[in-house]
Amino acid sequence: MKRLFSRSTSSGKRSARRPARKSPRRFFGKKILLAGLLLAVLLASGYVLHLDFVIRERFEGRRFALPARVYARPLELYPGLQLTAAELVEELRLLGYRETASPREPGSYRWRESRVTLKTRDFTFADGMQPATTLQVDFAEGRVARLERVGGDGHLALLRLDPALIGGIYPGNNEDRVLVRLSEVPQRVLDALITVEDVRFYRHRGVDPRGLARALVMTLSGRSLQGGSTLTQQLVKNFFLSSERTVRRKLNEMIMALLLEIHYSKDEILETYLNEVYFGQDGNRAIHGFGLASAHFFDKPLMQIDLSEAALLVGMLKGPSYYSPRRQPERALGRRNLVLASMAEAGVIDDQQLLAARILPLGVVERPPRGTSPYPAFLSLVHRQLRENYRDQDLRSEGLQIFTTLDPWVQRAAERALVGRLEQLESNWNLPAASLQGAVLVSDARNGEVQAVVGGRNPRYEGFNRALDARRPVGSLIKPAIFLTALQPPHRYTLASLLDDSPLLLRQPGTEDWQPQNYDKQFHGPVPLYRVLAQSYNVSTARLGLELGVPEVQQTLRRLGVEPERPGYAASLLGTDAYTVLEMAQLYQTLAGGFRISPRAIREVLTFDGRPLQRYPLAVEQVIDGPTSYLLTTALQRVVTEGTGQGLNRYLPEALGVAGKTGTTDALRDSWFAGFTGNRVAVVWLGRDDNQPAGLTGAGGALTVWGELMAALKQEPVLLAMPEGIEHVWIESSSGRRSAAGCPDVVKLPFVVGTAPAETASCATPREKGTVRRWFERVFR
Amino acid sequence: MRRLLVRTLLVMLAGLFAGCAVRPPVAPPPKVPEVEVEPVGPAVAPLLRAARELASAGDLEPAGAHLERALRIEPRNPLLWQELARIRLVQGLYRQAEGMAARSNSLAAGHSQLRRENWRIIGRARNALGDHQGAKEAFDLAGQQPP
Repeated sequence: MKRLFSRSTSSGKRSARRPARKSPRRFFGKKILLAGLLLAVLLASGYVLHLDFVIRERFEGRRFALPARVYARPLELYPGLQLTAAELVEELRLLGYRETASPREPGSYRWRESRVTLKTRDFTFADGMQPATTLQVDFAEGRVARLERVGGDGHLALLRLDPALIGGIYPGNNEDRVLVRLSEVPQRVLDALITVEDVRFYRHRGVDPRGLARALVMTLSGRSLQGGSTLTQQLVKNFFLSSERTVRRKLNEMIMALLLEIHYSKDEILETYLNEVYFGQDGNRAIHGFGLASAHFFDKPLMQIDLSEAALLVGMLKGPSYYSPRRQPERALGRRNLVLASMAEAGVIDDQQLLAARILPLGVVERPPRGTSPYPAFLSLVHRQLRENYRDQDLRSEGLQIFTTLDPWVQRAAERALVGRLEQLESNWNLPAASLQGAVLVSDARNGEVQAVVGGRNPRYEGFNRALDARRPVGSLIKPAIFLTALQPPHRYTLASLLDDSPLLLRQPGTEDWQPQNYDKQFHGPVPLYRVLAQSYNVSTARLGLELGVPEVQQTLRRLGVEPERPGYAASLLGTDAYTVLEMAQLYQTLAGGFRISPRAIREVLTFDGRPLQRYPLAVEQVIDGPTSYLLTTALQRVVTEGTGQGLNRYLPEALGVAGKTGTTDALRDSWFAGFTGNRVAVVWLGRDDNQPAGLTGAGGALTVWGELMAALKQEPVLLAMPEGIEHVWIESSSGRRSAAGCPDVVKLPFVVGTAPAETASCATPREKGTVRRWFERVFR
Repeated sequence: MRRLLVRTLLVMLAGLFAGCAVRPPVAPPPKVPEVEVEPVGPAVAPLLRAARELASAGDLEPAGAHLERALRIEPRNPLLWQELARIRLVQGLYRQAEGMAARSNSLAAGHSQLRRENWRIIGRARNALGDHQGAKEAFDLAGQQPP
């Protein structure tokens, strides 16, 4: 206003010397000038308002796009748990616990013979925060014998370890960070930062003319350590990362810095800065913030870094790739020591500290902790299940914490078995090296939790996931659905029913003639039903399926949780239909107990600050009645004891009562094995990506992977509680007739009461006695 | 007259059936005190306790989560499955309630008290689902469990 006024006076003076006629124009000019200036002020303030809006939105809205963090299952420790000290220590190493003489810091342990002492980390689970606990675990006879809280009230009944972080779902720009609160940041980090980057941080208002001037002098005098920008300006610059160096951008930056300081406290600005600054790339992942930088370079939380490490991080800010301690260690070391020196100069550390810190090596871990997940196949299942409930952009930015069911031990066993066996099979069968592929899925038989997914023979590869996306013909893996249809109420068949395994020719108008063959190219005449399944005879199975009706078998499949191909052809009965490993896992999950339980990879989702957002509860539905489930499981156990699955006896004790089924397809293109023990369900597929013959049967290929995998894990026997309404009867297996213990060629089979054959084989003791017994049985059943 | 005859016959028949159903005991069966049907292990006990407390306060969702955690430790404990079934019933998740109770039943051979309660849960769930015939069958089965 003052300037406006003075200008108008000067023009007034001039007007005295000029003719009066010009005065209206001058008056007009003044008006234009006034209006113009007003407009400029309006525009300028509008612009400032706009910047204000932009910067506040950026600062307040979502300050950071936080990737979703994905965790493995936490290990539950309790007395009686089957676990050795070595296994616990392995789990602790996986979690990044450090071995020390006296574990006082969270995340450290000590192992002395049968005792492991450890201190857990604070961790927020869905049911609340579990504070760091010092714990003494004693082992005896392969189990946890005692669990004791050190310095607490004696023994503990149950405790969860913190779960392993197994990956993230990153924002589109692949920014990754670990948020830290200002209160968690060690003073030495703040001292180094403020000394080097902005010594007057707590005194300026966003822009520091004095700092700018000093930087200029320093630069001119060749001691260029300080940049002219304040931390606030640097934060603004980081928010809108752009490489253009124009006056306009610099001006915007200054205005925004001033605005930030009007709205927010120094601490808020500093905290945001600490989380925002860029520390370089790890592959396509961008490392942001001190929290992640500390993990990335030193593999420890920011709280634990020492003075020299703090100086290194702060030193890097000037040029994260130029001073990269991994690629330019010399340069980084020089820069770090310069930071230390200026800290000493500023008096924030003393000379002794300087001397001690300066001689330390960089301390950077050789290999950064993985940014990408070591378990990409499992992660893609998690991602898929999450996308049913969340928008992808939320998964990538809201910092959700995803608690999954992955069991790192099972995953490792599955990877090792698959990779190892594939190499072995190729060399045994003279197959071209690296020609075979495979996929594995393991789940908990009791609750459907997916414990491991392997999507190919390079388990770290993030590409095609054969466990989820490869749809391959399943061969005989589908047969249990046919036998279940036969055995279920109204119990048209029993395990002893004789099936006809003689040549079969199916002529149907509109389709080619169908003439199924057995694998051995033989026909076996009348065979009891259980043995048809055990030996995987195709012809008699096809005849049985046709008799029951393809639509009915498909209905059974649907009930078991698998959506069959439409329309169903006769050949579908022998597994020409293609399914994924995941779908077969669903099928065998249901067969293992008779309850449909969907394979779940997620337990719960928490917000980034630990509030429960969503649970993925256990859901079960009984789809096979108890007695029928008992019969079918018995038949599947026969596959292993006497049928095509006998090879498993090389890997697993018979007492486990393993139930399973082999699958082989046309020209040995696909090799399958699916089955379960008392606690795990697993499905293995082997084959070639180009769909050429792999040269392996189910028994010769997939079964061996299955066996090796399951043998490496703790297994519980298939415990079949005999349901009401089941009786066991000795049967002569060639005739399917009732017999007795001690007779030749007999087998003891379960029957739904009232369905066992009445006719007796000739061996079964004197006829009269048999008659009397049968009479009694009829009366008392 | 005819009615009387019918009644007499009915009474006789009833007597006959009763005679069939109840075997005359050689010695009176010892009165078994009501014990916890299926005790849980020490690791699970605090979880079960917490689940019950949460459920009594109406926090059904976290109560269910505690039971699922307990089931990971003792997956074959029919009592835990039943507790979860009851929570699902109160939550109005009737199919789940029925499934969990059936699961409990499949593991509860010999635990007649548990089985009785499971069948009751199944009956209530089926009623809520409109399957009154199925509910009746379940309630009948609940009644048939030996005391």
